[in-house]
Amino acid sequence: MPRAAVVGAGMTEFGIHDIPLEELFAEAAFGALDDAGAEPADVEALYFGNAMSGQAENTTHLGPKVATHAGMAGIPVQRFEDACATSANAFKNAVAAVEAGVHDAVLVGGVERCTPETGRDTAAMTRVFASASHRQYEQPAGLTFPGVFALLTKRHMYEHGTTEEQLAHVAVKNHGHGALNPRAHFGKEVTVEEVLDGPVVADPFRLMDCCPFSDGASAVVVVSDELADSYDAPVDVTGVGHATDVVPIADKPTPHVTQAARDAAEEAYEQAGVSADDVDFAEVHDCFTGAEVLASEALGLVADGEGGPAAATGRTARDGDVPINPSGGLKAKGHPIGATGTAQVVELTEQLRGEAGARQLPDADRAVAHNLGGDAATTVVSVMEVRG
Amino acid sequence: MSDGLTHAAWSDALREGALLGGACDDCGATVGTPKAACPHCGARGLEPVELPTAGTVYTETTVEVPPEGIDERGYRVAVVDLGAARVLGRLDGAAEIGDAVALAGHVEDEQGYVVPRFEPA
Repeated sequence: MPRAAVVGAGMTEFGIHDIPLEELFAEAAFGALDDAGAEPADVEALYFGNAMSGQAENTTHLGPKVATHAGMAGIPVQRFEDACATSANAFKNAVAAVEAGVHDAVLVGGVERCTPETGRDTAAMTRVFASASHRQYEQPAGLTFPGVFALLTKRHMYEHGTTEEQLAHVAVKNHGHGALNPRAHFGKEVTVEEVLDGPVVADPFRLMDCCPFSDGASAVVVVSDELADSYDAPVDVTGVGHATDVVPIADKPTPHVTQAARDAAEEAYEQAGVSADDVDFAEVHDCFTGAEVLASEALGLVADGEGGPAAATGRTARDGDVPINPSGGLKAKGHPIGATGTAQVVELTEQLRGEAGARQLPDADRAVAHNLGGDAATTVVSVMEVRG
Repeated sequence: MSDGLTHAAWSDALREGALLGGACDDCGATVGTPKAACPHCGARGLEPVELPTAGTVYTETTVEVPPEGIDERGYRVAVVDLGAARVLGRLDGAAEIGDAVALAGHVEDEQGYVVPRFEPA
């Protein structure tokens, strides 16, 4: 039996938005409500994600601010902060709430503004992002977030022979997918040569191995299984797993296996009664090309050590046997931190409904979303399926 | 049961050229930074232990785009495997994964927090 259903999905374009967070979130919230055919009054609670508005924009207590702006003042709002896994954590708790009967219908979503064009410059945002690494034992070394994933990826390269060219193929693939997505931050294709010619950010990552700083918002309407059939296009949520790992990186037993993702995937698959072999496609947290390689292995979509070759040989492309990030992923679609988790749910919903337009995958009946936070110390894995 | 290792004690030791970790009597794990309880089994009161100051590079990267507050570019950050535990710090010099390195001091940020600095052994 499904744990819950998504009956409405909406998101803004990811890119540059020089408007207040409340206006940005309302656009996604109204998109989700309109898609569901629901009114604000139908929503009993808001599960809201935003990672760093306090640091980046000096605005806190955002829950009632966005609820008020979107016509939902009065309902309970809970705000989640879990670095880049912020709104997947909100989604997890929303699913649990409707499953338990706490609420029948809720809105889940997130918003963030990260672009230098609308806020702080690259150096300042690099510091804000680095706040997710350990304040005492990592930040004083000058560790950045590209650096965090570089540390994980270089050990993977050492263990498995993953190459910079294979990493570049992840970027090329996701830019290609993103070119089909009208809401993507980056809409143009790139070549392996262009990726490998880019300036180094933190080796082995060059500029195009990294996702952009993005502004954006996303939202979904989540309802109980009992209520789902009263909406036009429900998509089932059959499993949501959530796990954490040791912080800091140096104390993780094997950092590059991203154990939290493996634990979360096992939990999600078990709830859904499926295995990785049953998954038709995945949206994974490719904040850096290496992160997609690690995620594809942690989810069991490819064998350990095969993430790089799978990207290079096209297995993870739209027409491959395990399509990954048909939306373009964080790499091309963009990564407004607090909006990323529910944006993955938006993509799963549209693909599983067969409403993904030019980027629609054939035979998409079951999919998985993998949203990672911090140095991979938080991961939420969700399984969604065409309603049975 | 010991009183456990604190950030202050860990930092003071590092300034004096020593690396401290915490050893768990219950599960046998050793961690390279202070914890109020063992992250692997939950046992409280990890025993402060002095870690070796030499080891091998477990993983490393060169940061070319620094955060606000750091003016230099092209500095290296590494996780160093000391045997019983690993620690993260700066790496000066040409050591790659698997190469031998040794503690060579520390770096300090604007709030006075310190992390180890390693050089090729």
